[in-house]
Amino acid sequence: MEKVFLVHNDIAYSYQKLLLDLNNKEYEIPYLYVKDNHPYDVFLGIVHSLLFDYPIEVLDGDFSEKEISELGIDVNALTLKSKLKEHLNLQKLDEVMQRVKDIENWQLTLYTSGTTGRPKKMSHTFQTLTRNVKIHKKFENDIWAFAYNPTHMAGLQVFFQAFLNQNTLIYMFGESMKKIPALIEEYQITHISSTATFYRNVLPYVQGNTFYMVKRVTFGGEKFDLLLEEKLKAVFSNAKMINIYASTEAGSLFTAQRDTFEIKLEHQQWVKITAQQELCIHHSLLGHSKSLSLDSEWFHTGDLVELVDETHFKFQSRQSDMVNVGGYKVNPLEVENILMQVPGVIDILVKSKNNSVTGELLVADVIKNQEMDEKELKKEIKQYASIHLQEWKVPRIIKFVDELPSTRTGKKVRK
Amino acid sequence: MDKLLLIINEMREEAGFESIESLEASMDLREDLQLDSLMLAELTVRIEDEFGVDIFEDGIVQTIGEIIAKIEGV
Repeated sequence: MEKVFLVHNDIAYSYQKLLLDLNNKEYEIPYLYVKDNHPYDVFLGIVHSLLFDYPIEVLDGDFSEKEISELGIDVNALTLKSKLKEHLNLQKLDEVMQRVKDIENWQLTLYTSGTTGRPKKMSHTFQTLTRNVKIHKKFENDIWAFAYNPTHMAGLQVFFQAFLNQNTLIYMFGESMKKIPALIEEYQITHISSTATFYRNVLPYVQGNTFYMVKRVTFGGEKFDLLLEEKLKAVFSNAKMINIYASTEAGSLFTAQRDTFEIKLEHQQWVKITAQQELCIHHSLLGHSKSLSLDSEWFHTGDLVELVDETHFKFQSRQSDMVNVGGYKVNPLEVENILMQVPGVIDILVKSKNNSVTGELLVADVIKNQEMDEKELKKEIKQYASIHLQEWKVPRIIKFVDELPSTRTGKKVRK
Repeated sequence: MDKLLLIINEMREEAGFESIESLEASMDLREDLQLDSLMLAELTVRIEDEFGVDIFEDGIVQTIGEIIAKIEGV
């Protein structure tokens, strides 16, 4: 039987098919922008760029034209392509792996929600992206649940770990939670990696069962939730639970059991914690970016941590205005800038509210034009937001207020 | 139950969905009402604003009946 590369929507894509499609793809494209973020096409695009050693920019398939132009990309450039000079006739996946070892020009660019409005462009080399990928014969039969957005850093980490070991990926991102226990059982999944929000939502459907074949359950992208881990232990009783700290800027950097992260020996001189307890990372551990602001070679993460001993720390909170909705970072400023354009909105403050389902949730206080009907305007703001913003950037609760609090310098107070 | 229906319909209306006529205790939030995690998060906030109860505090709410039980503190 042919080894399965990916299962998505009950369709299995084999590694043989992947090879065939790689051989047949005659064009290189600078932007990977796949409608509906179809995972097979996303992964095919990434592997193709590696194989032919050309740089690629990865965009979310659900970005609106407005969001694309906010990134500074000409929408017309999305359809650019150029014919490859070389034609390959790969027969075995090992040939792909061999070529990947020799790449020189390849880099993968992602966009991160910046703290000061415009998203930042981060370019990663193969080395920074796969820093924590482990390739070994003992991993060859791992079967991965893929439960992240494939165009984001966490998803890429899972993809490379699985692909470079020629594993099978079972796509679960956006899948109905009800189907997940059956998928775990049917495909005998051994590794799951996702956000706390995903696990919280899947819990009602897996509780009461025990999935003995799951060897590892990984959390990423959100604050650690001890209670949740306890509950998951009953379901995945043989699994080691791991917590990962990764970011679009740095890739995957620290891992933890429970809430205490370890700074690896080789990273110790490149990680520091300021007197204000902010975690800083030396630029040598980061991807490359022109727009990233550094403080003499150090990148301030905005994460406040508590040092446990010289090589261990715990997370406290975030310093910046960034909101984490179910594992997705949102810059409230970006949302405000877009929603200020809705007719009838005079001023708007977008902020976070703690939430037991998604960790945080976006809410908005709005000063409206007196003539506007509240109900109508709420509807219009939400509609405008859904068209122009990705779904986790849509403020879910809208309140009308007479004035918005501001600091003495006139900045909005987001707390 | 009526108040809960009102809350759910307000949420649906703002999101541009049709309102629903009635709720039943057996209705599944995810399957029957098609609420995804963001909508469940929103529902939690709305219910907490109205009743002062965080229905997802301990993680497991699947049906309308279970929400009612939480609100009534059973």
